[in-house]
Amino acid sequence: MKKAISLLLSAALALGMLAGCGQTPSSAPQSGSAAAPGSETATEPVTIKIWHDGDEAIMQTIADTVNSRLSGDNITVTFEKKTGLSDQLKLYGSDAANGPDMYFYAHDSLGTFVAMDILAPLSEVAGADVLADALPMTVEAGQIGGEQYFLPVYFETLVFLYNKALWQGDIPTTTEDLYAYMQANTDTAAGTYAVVNQHSTAYNVSPFINGFGGYILNEEGHPGLNDPKTIEGVEYNKKFAALQADGDYNTVTTLFNEGKAAAIIGGPWLVSGIRDAGIDFGVASLSDMTLPNGNPLAPYAGVQGVGVLKTGAEAHPEAIGKVLAALASPEVGVALAKSSGCAPANSKAYEDPEVAADELIVAIQKTAETAQPMPNIPEMGVLWGPAESFLVAVNKSGEDVATAAETAQQAALQAIADMQ
Amino acid sequence: MRKKPWLYSAPALLLILIVVVFPIGYTAYISLTNMNLYHWADFRVIGLSNYARALFKFDSGFLGALFTTLLWTVVNMALQLFCGFWIALGLNAKGLRLRRLYKTLLMLPWAMPAYVSILLWRVGIFNTEFGLLNQWLTALGLPKYSILDNTVTAFLACLALNLWMALPFMIATIDGALQSVDASLYESASLDGAGFFQKVRFITVPGIRAIIAPAAVMTTFITFKQFDIVYLLTQQKGYMTGANLNTVITYAYQNAFVSNNYGLSSAVSMLLFVLIILFSLATNRSLREE
Repeated sequence: MKKAISLLLSAALALGMLAGCGQTPSSAPQSGSAAAPGSETATEPVTIKIWHDGDEAIMQTIADTVNSRLSGDNITVTFEKKTGLSDQLKLYGSDAANGPDMYFYAHDSLGTFVAMDILAPLSEVAGADVLADALPMTVEAGQIGGEQYFLPVYFETLVFLYNKALWQGDIPTTTEDLYAYMQANTDTAAGTYAVVNQHSTAYNVSPFINGFGGYILNEEGHPGLNDPKTIEGVEYNKKFAALQADGDYNTVTTLFNEGKAAAIIGGPWLVSGIRDAGIDFGVASLSDMTLPNGNPLAPYAGVQGVGVLKTGAEAHPEAIGKVLAALASPEVGVALAKSSGCAPANSKAYEDPEVAADELIVAIQKTAETAQPMPNIPEMGVLWGPAESFLVAVNKSGEDVATAAETAQQAALQAIADMQ
Repeated sequence: MRKKPWLYSAPALLLILIVVVFPIGYTAYISLTNMNLYHWADFRVIGLSNYARALFKFDSGFLGALFTTLLWTVVNMALQLFCGFWIALGLNAKGLRLRRLYKTLLMLPWAMPAYVSILLWRVGIFNTEFGLLNQWLTALGLPKYSILDNTVTAFLACLALNLWMALPFMIATIDGALQSVDASLYESASLDGAGFFQKVRFITVPGIRAIIAPAAVMTTFITFKQFDIVYLLTQQKGYMTGANLNTVITYAYQNAFVSNNYGLSSAVSMLLFVLIILFSLATNRSLREE
């Protein structure tokens, strides 16, 4: 009897282990099925699911504004936080039952999703008017091969943040004056610095590289780490790096927040930490600082916005078109600027007096004139590594710039070749 | 009748099949396909060409990394066994007070998540501005030194951290083994006039050898395939240092796993898998010969 029971239990346990392997019938309408795509009417309630990996407060602001605009259309937008969104979309990007209808993320991973063939162009669900008021730089960030896949909502770029109690005099208008100020006011032995920057991170050196006319990756997907102009920019950054401590994120932000650095080159994401540290800070645009060649500093910009998944576009084209129109409205931009200090992609949002009075947002908007959107083609994903190795070799290991550039270029070409 | 044992162990076997064998088999399958960003849903079997490309990853840089890994493993094992043994012996010294407190404190590094420990050391000990080592240097009137920017000092820094993190396991194992040595042997050795070192050499070491051997083999593997300490201290994105330090795993990661080319990465993984199996066979054999 005992044997029979244990045999039975073993079999049950073994079968139980396989229980999860069954197929769940898909509840979402499939393309070409009886529930024809795009057949929803204004009376049927529709829920649009958007996945994001961002700040919950920012997403809540967007959700509240969009949902109040769409209440008359019977459309509800829900935002779901998914950590590691990029990997999540690799798994669920073409899964109509379990995946999202849209996603909210930074624009630089757009190329990866387009290469995976999981996104629908915006033209399939919305008219060109959703982009009519957007800043040109943010529109450009959402294009791949001339096709618009991404609706910009807000953007970030590097600005010059300074501690009003520590900075003496005006903010320099040339990088040479800035360097002179740094030389006069930096004491590395005592641990006090004039300006700190993540000097060996490609994103933070982009103002110099782009300003000199160099590039990390061009539109054709060719890396430019050994381009003479890139080398010039990196070489020029080196003398600044020598006066900017170790240059990793934790070190530079702590130096600034503890009042040991008078200024920091960083993005709006640093602001909450600076406020918590009780520092009275001012903001200047990097566009107002010129290099020895006369060009202004030209940082990379990261644009945050939404893309539409093919599965979503097939299931709810009309509803998604309305959601896009609501997201593109100046109200969303104004709400984000007021609640979270984000710089809206919608140019009309800056007409709001409160937004126009915000020093940080205006500095970011000003920088958008010279900023370049980060490359959004998939090759960029493998280039951060070689670019950082290049900067580290020059700034921290003291390698010759030209040699390091050549090594990094070969590594970049190899990394791109490995993608295929 | 012969079927019954299989049926009894079926649940366990099935679990092993799903958790251990299936991922290896699936990786082997992916390594034969062209699965990458551009062939995400429509990948197909392309034969062994990924392996031909993967072999190119095992170039001169890989040989350097292999040498570093072997050096890293040998030095770590020697230090861990040496330090672990003497600390465990010290904990068992007669008349030692607060023995339990020491044992608990010595377990602390092991109880902490590795990621947290590594970041704590990176910022708290090695950082040029806030790290303890540089605070000492400054207090002594010496210039700041970035330990993690130089390959040799970065290796030593990783070594020190690994020792700190791995010693608790070694101490616990050796401490346990020491309890199994018959105390009467020491008494009769004392009567025969043996000194402390003679007792250690002729009684303690032979007595615990067989017990700590499996722990030593396990630790050898963990050390050989070490990734997080070297990566997080010197190579993490945004925190890269000037050191050119690579173990086989970090080298393979840097060169094959950031490309989103799953076919190629899987082929490299399979080759690494074979390499580690060979290493394990060699270690097991040398252990048996002993």
